[in-house]
Amino acid sequence: MTTLTETQLQAPAASAGLMKRLLPKRLGVHIFLIISCIVIGFPLFYAMIVSTQENADVYRYQFTPGNKFEANWDIVVNKRNIPGYMLNTVIVAVAVTVGKTVLSLLAGLAFVYFRFPGKWLVFGFVLITLMMPTEILIIALFRFVNALGWGSTYLALIVPFLASATGTFLFRQHFSNIPVELCEAAQLDGATPLQFLIKVLVPISWNTIGALAVIQFIYVWNMYLWPVIIIQDQVHQVVQVGLQQLQGNDQASSFGPMMLGAVLASIPPILVFVLLQKQFMSGFQLSTDK
Amino acid sequence: MSLSTPILIMLAGALAGAGLFYGLNRRSRTALVMGALGGIAGSLLFMVPLNFCMFETERTTLDIILGLILIVVGVLLVVIPLQWLFGRFVERRIAFTGSQAGTFKGTFTPFLLLAPTIVILALFLYYPSLDTFRLSTLLYRLGAKRSAFVCLDNFTALVDPDYLRSVFITLGLSLAIVVLGLSLGLLIATAAYQPVKGARIYRTLLIWPYAVSPVVAGVVFALLFNPAGGIINYVLKNLFGITIPWLNDPTYAPWAVIIASVWKSLGFNILFYIAGLQNIPKDLTEAAAIDGANAIQRFIRVTFPLLSPITFFLIITNMTYAFFDTVGTVVYMTGGAGPLGSTNTLIFRIYQLGVQNNDLGKAAAQSIVLFLMVIGLTVIQFRTTGERVNYGGA
Amino acid sequence: MLNRKAMALVMALVMVLLMAVPAFAQEPAQIAVWVAFGTARLDWTTQKAAQFNAAFPQYNVVVEGGLTYEGLDQKIKLAAEQGTLPGIVQYNEVSTTLARDSGNFKSIADALGDRTEVNGIPANFDDFVAPVKNYYTLDGKFTSMPWNASSAVMFSNMNMLKAAGIETIPATWAEMEAACETIMGQDGHPTYCFTWPNHGWFFEQWLAQQNASMANNDNGRSARANEVAFNSDAGYATLSWLKSMYDKGYLYYGGKKDGDSWDYVDQSFLPGTEVAMAIYSSSDTAYYTNTGKTNGFDVAASRLPYNQDAAGGWTGNIIGGGSLWLVNGLTQEQEDGALTFLMWLTNTENAAEWHQITGYFPVRQSSIDLLSTDGWYDVLDAAGTSQVWKDDAAVQAGKGTSWFGANPNFIVAAQQVADSQSTPATQGAVMGAFPDIRSIVTAATDTVLLTPDADVKAILDQAVADATKLLQEYETLNAP
Repeated sequence: MTTLTETQLQAPAASAGLMKRLLPKRLGVHIFLIISCIVIGFPLFYAMIVSTQENADVYRYQFTPGNKFEANWDIVVNKRNIPGYMLNTVIVAVAVTVGKTVLSLLAGLAFVYFRFPGKWLVFGFVLITLMMPTEILIIALFRFVNALGWGSTYLALIVPFLASATGTFLFRQHFSNIPVELCEAAQLDGATPLQFLIKVLVPISWNTIGALAVIQFIYVWNMYLWPVIIIQDQVHQVVQVGLQQLQGNDQASSFGPMMLGAVLASIPPILVFVLLQKQFMSGFQLSTDK
Repeated sequence: MSLSTPILIMLAGALAGAGLFYGLNRRSRTALVMGALGGIAGSLLFMVPLNFCMFETERTTLDIILGLILIVVGVLLVVIPLQWLFGRFVERRIAFTGSQAGTFKGTFTPFLLLAPTIVILALFLYYPSLDTFRLSTLLYRLGAKRSAFVCLDNFTALVDPDYLRSVFITLGLSLAIVVLGLSLGLLIATAAYQPVKGARIYRTLLIWPYAVSPVVAGVVFALLFNPAGGIINYVLKNLFGITIPWLNDPTYAPWAVIIASVWKSLGFNILFYIAGLQNIPKDLTEAAAIDGANAIQRFIRVTFPLLSPITFFLIITNMTYAFFDTVGTVVYMTGGAGPLGSTNTLIFRIYQLGVQNNDLGKAAAQSIVLFLMVIGLTVIQFRTTGERVNYGGA
Repeated sequence: MLNRKAMALVMALVMVLLMAVPAFAQEPAQIAVWVAFGTARLDWTTQKAAQFNAAFPQYNVVVEGGLTYEGLDQKIKLAAEQGTLPGIVQYNEVSTTLARDSGNFKSIADALGDRTEVNGIPANFDDFVAPVKNYYTLDGKFTSMPWNASSAVMFSNMNMLKAAGIETIPATWAEMEAACETIMGQDGHPTYCFTWPNHGWFFEQWLAQQNASMANNDNGRSARANEVAFNSDAGYATLSWLKSMYDKGYLYYGGKKDGDSWDYVDQSFLPGTEVAMAIYSSSDTAYYTNTGKTNGFDVAASRLPYNQDAAGGWTGNIIGGGSLWLVNGLTQEQEDGALTFLMWLTNTENAAEWHQITGYFPVRQSSIDLLSTDGWYDVLDAAGTSQVWKDDAAVQAGKGTSWFGANPNFIVAAQQVADSQSTPATQGAVMGAFPDIRSIVTAATDTVLLTPDADVKAILDQAVADATKLLQEYETLNAP
């Protein structure tokens, strides 16, 4: 019994050495990760398949692409003008991202490189807004923005979101970690605060700027509740709300166009996120390669 | 209403304010006067805008209780900042003497730099907040000819089993989303942070759903869970011979929403846990290994405590997401309230009241309650987890 | 010196403006139309607008759609708040009181004044079929333009019924139950016997059939309604019947999806395998009939099954669907353009065409008469038709024969409404907060079906209490 077991054990052991060279290291980890990637990727992948199908294909659980891609594309792109909504969303998202970054940089500069009376009061004023989610104020905000005459305009989607406690804190934190000598040197050179910001601080803050930009871009791109309420005009509507157009309320909803719209609407934020992944990580001081 | 109620309230406020201040400020006489004035102002803070309505004769006990609470809150809201300012006033003389290295001169410039931020926050966050309070005391419908003042009726109406159920549904959904999202995130991160071949590609493929919107998550999962043609049931039927009425059964509908929401938030959790795991110094885990701890023990004793700041951060962000950002998902999956109201979350209620029914007064009242709940939960969070957070590691 | 310069500048500006005015005047007057439709109906309306713009170059009608009725209601309210209302909006029948109380709309009668025609389009309102004309005549004034009028009907998969040996479609609740027993007793029976969209409109239809009102004061027709009253025996009977059908496994219920449950009925009936019968709106008669044909089964439309035990038997059905409202405060030119478009869109030919591609019954008697003749195709084609109409298989197949003769499914709704007795119950309720009250009924029905051993009476009473509260709040804020 014993000898038998030993020989049995030895034979695989010998080939295991060979296997080890052929298979990647930590095979278990690889398998687990591959399964995770597949499970996580499945919903959108399936949505992509359905975006080429008609309802009948869906009902018979066909897992291969159908032949309705062009028809669905025609509905999504030409008839329901989803690209138009996407363009609106790009305009709004870029404007908010840029504006918010600029205002946050200015606020961060004021908080770190100036001493002024009531600093803590102002800081508290900004700090408290962290606890005021727009979702909760939305009713009153709607009334106010309408009173300004901004209903159904880009202004309504952009201006209320230009100031940010998160951004201000991120930059305040980042600037506080920068050695004071830099500022002293700049002052010796006679730089004004703005010159110091543009020439010295911004070049060493790209990661933080990138991180904030990623968060803001995705936040604005995915905004739903606010545009539903304030934009009553298809010309200025954003894509998350525009997707409703594909639901086709008066006849059985067609899954194909709906999924195509959903996939198209997800491409820009995913691209931004994946491309700026590194900045995102290091901006939050999350990455080891600081 | 007679004049006696306001006078009584002011007197009580003055006494409370004076007492508080006197005790806190080494019993100075100025403090006594300031405290009394603060107390009067505080007691009137809510009462004047509300015109003491909850003490009118035809009001219920609930109104009176709420009124008393508002008086106490009002006094605290005035006296505490006053006390804080009083304290700073003394320190200030020391604080603002002399210039400091690494700062620019000028008292006007910083305000100029801060002006856009302050103006926008004041106009688009502070003002609507105050307006929300005003709206919450009205019967106010968009498009109606008039509005009517209803005192605190919009709040007292929330003492109702149906609303309470929504509170539990929201808490339950959030708890499930946080617990599932964080544990799955951590599990996958422990595999993904390892320096295996192609780690970068794996990471990208794992984290992208963070960028997908709640609406798209709702649209896609509504298809996956669809009663006809839904692929999840197709798989379940073929593997286990069961069909689950995902979107049409009060037991399963919340789970369908939880699964979609966790899917959407998972990428974010993985990302932050990967970063957290990478920042844990190798020598700590190695030392534990030398002490004879096995992998699981090492994880529980060393790794997990060192991850606590990240966990804490993720709990807050996931909770906020579960409370507020799931509206889009829910609307597309279960039409909002769901079967037997089983996915009728607090934020969807506000959406339905405010946006669909245009009942702005009730929506505003519910917004305030939700706001208080979120603050309450954050504070509890800080108390229970925050203190034990280990800020060593990184 | 400076003054003279400023004067010159002002003069120059005035000149520029004066020169610009004629240029503006030649631009066509813009008239936006908001409808609640997506897909083929939106396409049809858009094509009709293009046709209208070609015929009347002084106007430019632009159609926007793609929402649900509920979504559009909300959009209109928000736009009214912003002052960005278009020229014409669509409301479904349930929002009639709300639209009238809002003050945002002008009645067609007022806009028309003494005229009998605008831009050559005659305003012969007497041609509208009586139930429709009565529904949209408020305080003796023709208020909004009827466009899409429907009634509740039932579609049956005749292949399944015949396979079960059923030759006549069940007409009453009792016959439904008997038919279901037969169908579900068969080998290879469908998963369920029948289905219906959980939408308060059907409850209202069943109430009307039993001559019961939704609200007090003769359904709000003798004075403003301030209490709802649908917890009557009729209401109880309706929900109890649905509940027993559901509990027996005959009724397929996909969920309420906040009034948007039509999809579930489409998904279960149209593949031809899941259910044998679907209670639905006549508005999709074309879609149901055609899809059945494509999927290899015959679809027959019949009247909405009624409660055979009700005191007076079948009293009648209410009309459903929607109408088009003219926004208040347009320029005279825009208003005339909008009025012209409204009357043109609902003329004999267009009303007939609209009926054929949807299933909404023809709102004009002249359209019904036309479609009863053999020559309807050529008349419509000569009047200028849309591509959507030409692409319709049934339209093409029906050439040369009487439309109703070749397509019996299409006359069911019109006849059901025409045969109805006119009582306050069958005229339909007029009350504030009706859309929200309808949602309450939908939710109550959901609760009854999904709660095991549900106490129907208690659920109905609670719904009535909630609805009355809403109605009274509405009256506090809106009653004149």
